[in-house]
Amino acid sequence: MKKYLLAAASIALLAGLPQVAAAADAPPPGKELNMVLLPKFLGIAVFDQAHQGAEEAAKELQNPAKLQFLGPTPENSVAGQIEIVTNAATQGVNAIMISNNSGDQIVPAAKAAHDKGIKVVTWDSPIPSAEGEDVFVAQVDFTETGKVMADMALNILGADGGKLAILSASPDAANQNAWNKAFQDILKNDPKYAKLQIVDLVYGDDQSEKSYNQALALVDKHPDLQLIMAPTSVGIVAAAKAMQDEKLCDKIKVSGLGDPTEMGGYAKNGCAPQFALWSFVDLGYLAYYTAYALATGSLKAEEGAEFKAGRLGDYKITKDPTREKGLRILMGPFSVYTKDNLPQ
Amino acid sequence: MRWLQRHVRPEQVRELSLLILIIVAVIIFGSLISGYYTARTFNRIASSVAIITVVAAGQTLVVLTRNIDLSVGSIVGFTAYFTGMIVAANNGLPAIVVVLIAIGMGMAMGIVNGVIVAWGGVPSIIVTLGTLAIYRGLLIDYSGAKTITTESLPKWLVDLPTTELFYIGSIDMRAIVVIAIAVVIVFQLATSLLAFFRRFYAIGSNPDAAALIGLPAQRMVFTAFVLSGALSGLAGFMTLARFGNITVVAAQGLELQSVAAVVVGGVNIFGGSGTIFGAMLGAVMIGTLEQSLFRLGISEFWRDAVLGLLILLAVASDAVILNRLRALWARSGMTLVDKPATLPTTGEATR
Repeated sequence: MKKYLLAAASIALLAGLPQVAAAADAPPPGKELNMVLLPKFLGIAVFDQAHQGAEEAAKELQNPAKLQFLGPTPENSVAGQIEIVTNAATQGVNAIMISNNSGDQIVPAAKAAHDKGIKVVTWDSPIPSAEGEDVFVAQVDFTETGKVMADMALNILGADGGKLAILSASPDAANQNAWNKAFQDILKNDPKYAKLQIVDLVYGDDQSEKSYNQALALVDKHPDLQLIMAPTSVGIVAAAKAMQDEKLCDKIKVSGLGDPTEMGGYAKNGCAPQFALWSFVDLGYLAYYTAYALATGSLKAEEGAEFKAGRLGDYKITKDPTREKGLRILMGPFSVYTKDNLPQ
Repeated sequence: MRWLQRHVRPEQVRELSLLILIIVAVIIFGSLISGYYTARTFNRIASSVAIITVVAAGQTLVVLTRNIDLSVGSIVGFTAYFTGMIVAANNGLPAIVVVLIAIGMGMAMGIVNGVIVAWGGVPSIIVTLGTLAIYRGLLIDYSGAKTITTESLPKWLVDLPTTELFYIGSIDMRAIVVIAIAVVIVFQLATSLLAFFRRFYAIGSNPDAAALIGLPAQRMVFTAFVLSGALSGLAGFMTLARFGNITVVAAQGLELQSVAAVVVGGVNIFGGSGTIFGAMLGAVMIGTLEQSLFRLGISEFWRDAVLGLLILLAVASDAVILNRLRALWARSGMTLVDKPATLPTTGEATR
């Protein structure tokens, strides 16, 4: 009998251990907090998915205040983001969640909001200098993004390597720039990728037509191009369509970061045999949990702080290794999609 | 010289010189870029110019009447998106119905522009700047931030831009290019042969005289905006077919490209002179420069600067060279001059 008790006690102890060690608290539900979710701009499918995730979190946390999903129009992204942050600060909301498309130009507005006690959480794309920002909810590790891109390129081009070009979004997007740099660095420094050669870097500004035309122009400019790497969900579909239209899919493959619901056809017909992404629904969900926890005061924006984000589990705030200053919560992981594991 | 003067109008000299310029540009680029003279280069330029050309044809009609339509980019984006949404929900719709939906949608937006400009008496630059923002705003609002994807569209529509209708040598003529050429031919013939379309020139070159002989200026201005809207609707359909993935930013900035094509193509921004064919040449010139400068590895910002320079040159040459030419033609006693050799300076002219 004593034996059994001991066993039961040790099991209880073991089961209890992770909880004790993590000490992660879920934020208290039911607080009325006015929160703003700010995408780079409106009209992009993945931001809509993030909005869904944030709404899901809002429901779980029983926040009686309605989540405001506000975004600038595409042509006005930089100025519009700054304006929305400034207005939100004037209105005195409790938290703003920003996917920053304005580089450090957003710092004065973010700082003003932050100084008023508003929690500023960035998600998807951070503020490069981290000024005015509480914490960045990173979808994936930015250095890892470079590695995932390099591995996909290697898988597609094979051991003999070949020439590839990057089709990015806009030159102001901090996340894009960080990924491109990580990708370029790893190709340069890791001998495994020595035969992969980047010949060009162009910007499609997350505009379908511009990305399409840039992809075609790359093909014309570099006759021996074998791969277009587009770390943007708009660019990758546009590039894949361009290659398909020009019947070039046998020669030139497309890869990068893409939404499987948009890319399915191109994975099946071989134009884009591999691409990767994380869940934007989860990213929106986690950003909301983080902002909510910070605004209730149950989570402090400091290194080592931990909290429980609903169905996604426990998270910890760490230093952001890809920026000089700044804190980060890392979501992950990547899903690499091929024609065999497309979501239905 | 006399033969030239007898058979060619000064405006045609302008178009001829643009044609020569395009040929010279192609020869220069051909010597700088290896593998330039290929069917691929032709296809590339032709398909990228096709959509602008259709919009520019409508823009020409508006500019002829001393107006401007800045809402075309938003109309193209709006029709591309919502036609896409309708087709995505009803994959079985016949092609002709889809095209008519797009044209109808564009036409409706053109009617709004036309009514306010023609009967509201508001300057067109202000009206269309307003509707540019309104149409784009409606698109962003009603799209619910979703993207139209190639996946959801019927196969015939996705394949349309690469459908080759016929071949000229090794150059394949793609459906989308043929649509653009057809639009240019139809409207070029109409504006040079039909009395109704000649009225656009009449009310643009001298509104007072046009009013005196009893031309319905308001109705003509209205018609120009409706046609511009309808052609933008058609261009919206072409955009949907070509790019397949339509976001709310679709066709943004097309208004400036179309105005650039029109101006470079020798259409007088003060109304009354210029042709649809010229606007097409303008679009081709810009398209050729953009594609070729990219292949030369010249940065985007310089390409924009070159485009700006081209527009300035076009407008300046219009004011200086064309007036000299007209004077020359007039001195030699030819009666082919169809426009007084003065730029409009009265207050009326700015309407």
